[in-house]
Amino acid sequence: MSQTILKVNNLQAEIDGKAILKGIDLEVKAGEIHAIMGPNGSGKSTLSSVLAGRDEYEVTGGTVDYLGMDLLDLDPEERAWEGLFLAFQYPVEIPGVSNINFLKTAMAERAKHKGLDPISAKDFLAMVKEKSALVELNDKLKNRSVNEGFSGGEKKRNEIFQMAMLEPKLSILDETDSGLDIDALRIVANGVNTLKTDQNATIVITHYQRLLDYIIPDFVHVLHNGKIIKTGDKSLALELEEKGYDWLIKDFA
Amino acid sequence: MTLLKEKIFDIAISENMEEVVKSALKEIEQRSFPERKTEDWRYAKLGKILSKNYESDATDVNQVSEFLMEGLDANVVVLINGKFSNEFTKIEKQTGVTISSINEAVSNVEFKNHFNKLAERSQEIFTSINTAYNQGGVFIHVEKNVIVEKPIYMINVTSGNGMICNTRNLIVLEKFAEAKVIQGFYSTEGKENLNNSLTESFVKQNAKLNIEKIQNFSMSDRHICTEEIHQEKDSTATINTFMLSGGFIRNGLNIQVDGTNCYSEMNGLFLGTEEQYIDNHTKIEHIKSNCTSSELYKGILKDKSVGVFNGKVIVHKDAQVIEAYQQNNNVILSDEARMNTKPELEIFADDVKCSHGATTGQFDEEAVFYLQARGVSKTAAKEMLIGAFATEVLDKISIPEVRTYIEKSI
Ligand SMILES: Nc1ncnc2c1ncn2[C@@H]1O[C@H](COP(=O)(O)OP(=O)(O)OP(=O)(O)O)[C@@H](O)[C@H]1O
Ligand SMILES: [Mg+2]
Repeated sequence: MSQTILKVNNLQAEIDGKAILKGIDLEVKAGEIHAIMGPNGSGKSTLSSVLAGRDEYEVTGGTVDYLGMDLLDLDPEERAWEGLFLAFQYPVEIPGVSNINFLKTAMAERAKHKGLDPISAKDFLAMVKEKSALVELNDKLKNRSVNEGFSGGEKKRNEIFQMAMLEPKLSILDETDSGLDIDALRIVANGVNTLKTDQNATIVITHYQRLLDYIIPDFVHVLHNGKIIKTGDKSLALELEEKGYDWLIKDFA
Repeated sequence: MTLLKEKIFDIAISENMEEVVKSALKEIEQRSFPERKTEDWRYAKLGKILSKNYESDATDVNQVSEFLMEGLDANVVVLINGKFSNEFTKIEKQTGVTISSINEAVSNVEFKNHFNKLAERSQEIFTSINTAYNQGGVFIHVEKNVIVEKPIYMINVTSGNGMICNTRNLIVLEKFAEAKVIQGFYSTEGKENLNNSLTESFVKQNAKLNIEKIQNFSMSDRHICTEEIHQEKDSTATINTFMLSGGFIRNGLNIQVDGTNCYSEMNGLFLGTEEQYIDNHTKIEHIKSNCTSSELYKGILKDKSVGVFNGKVIVHKDAQVIEAYQQNNNVILSDEARMNTKPELEIFADDVKCSHGATTGQFDEEAVFYLQARGVSKTAAKEMLIGAFATEVLDKISIPEVRTYIEKSI
């Protein structure tokens, strides 16, 4: 049996006293791809933020086990060092911070945390070259400030580039497909598929079935009003594409 | 003993032009020290400064090497507690360039023609004190068409306890002349010193003056630093101020743009920690048409530090086609730090493009989280963001060695 990477148990979270996640259960094993779908405002980004450690959200109940660790007990950077990666729905622009240098710092800190030697400058550059080719990220973009002046699609590709550099154990892609044209979508999906192994796992959050033509999920979950109301295989996504969410929500109510 | 509050001065009066000193002494009699209700000094707590008993006996300094900047090839002028030090000063002779102690310059015609001509219009009592009691300073004169080859690095060292020193400089750039000046203000051991420094600069037709100012005092030192700059047509004046340390820092920058087609720039970066008070008052006066001025001040305030930025722009009635830009951005990193910012525009002409903006906020938490989520620790993420925030001002520095020095200090 393959290793359990993530086990979310009855997770509840709120912001400013408003309950957003109302009891999420989710188990992700090595080698799996999970898709999370659901209407706007259902809590998809909240779930990914809570898993990544954003402290704006207050966890009010439940547990999250990540590779045998209590995930909720770790700082965001510690989660990253342990191989958790979140591709943001809205990647922030950080003027003045170099896209490449900050990654180098991140990787050096991770190495230090793991008691390893930092990657050499030469190996780092070789890796940058290889991984940026994977998502066809232009040289100019790599050397600019983080996401500054990037188009929507370029930001998303930059997220996958960083994911490729960090080689995560668990990747959460929050609507990485929105705003992408079909070519960019193919590039991003290809990046994700190339990085996929039977040792790691991916959670893709999306509104669109079309991404799932490229990244084939093992499970599709529907999130509604802070709860997973249905789980199925990839055919569920097709059904949702056809019929929308209303029938499910009605059923649920 | 010198006690400002009582206007008791135990300092030898300046050896400068007798008339000038005499009238400055009279001004001191007539003027009073700023109070809380004095608008331009609203936030400054002068109480401790005015009621301190100051000494003015020079203390010796054995070396100044710690203030030299790596790789910087410059004319080095050293002032110790306001006095010109022949021992440490090293000037490379260049035809058309005079760099000397002001005490030696008193008989120089150009010195006499310019000295106090800008400062005499000031209403500030600290300016009068500087004029009457300065112990020395630097006179720089650059002849027409001459470009000073190496930067002139003025190292001002304050040493001793409770020292008061008044430094007075005069810079005159004749037509088409160019000079880069670095003013470094430092203190060695000791505490509660007061350094009251004033520089007058004349930037004549098509001349170019660049001043990089570094203020790096100990946390109990006080510093009042005034610039009086006069620009003639087609000239350029730039002054960048880096406030790295010092308990009380007050910068007063006054530029009079008295010619067409001038460019003036004032930039500043301050990092407040502990209980530092950092005050920047700038004033730019556009008297003639077709000029551009630009200001960018950025501040980072931690602990209980207090920052002030007051930028005054005056555009006279006949000064048309003026572009005046002013920007002040601050980041506050603690609940107890405070920033007071105020633009003051007095525009009497109609064809003026004027912009001013001020922001004061915390760090972009989303950016911090983004970096953390990629594996940059919170502390390192904040440092990165501080560096990024400061970069825009650091980019204004025209001398790479100065930039390196400042980057290392922050
Ligand atoms: N910072 C916040 N402050 C207040 N409310 C918030 C905040 N973040 C999220 N919410 C609320 O929480 C709910 C869930 O938001 P979330 O962003 O998780 O939804 P989502 O499923 O990702 O939606 P979308 O499909 O639009 O991306 C929404 O009602 C939203 O308004
Ligand atoms: Mg979302």
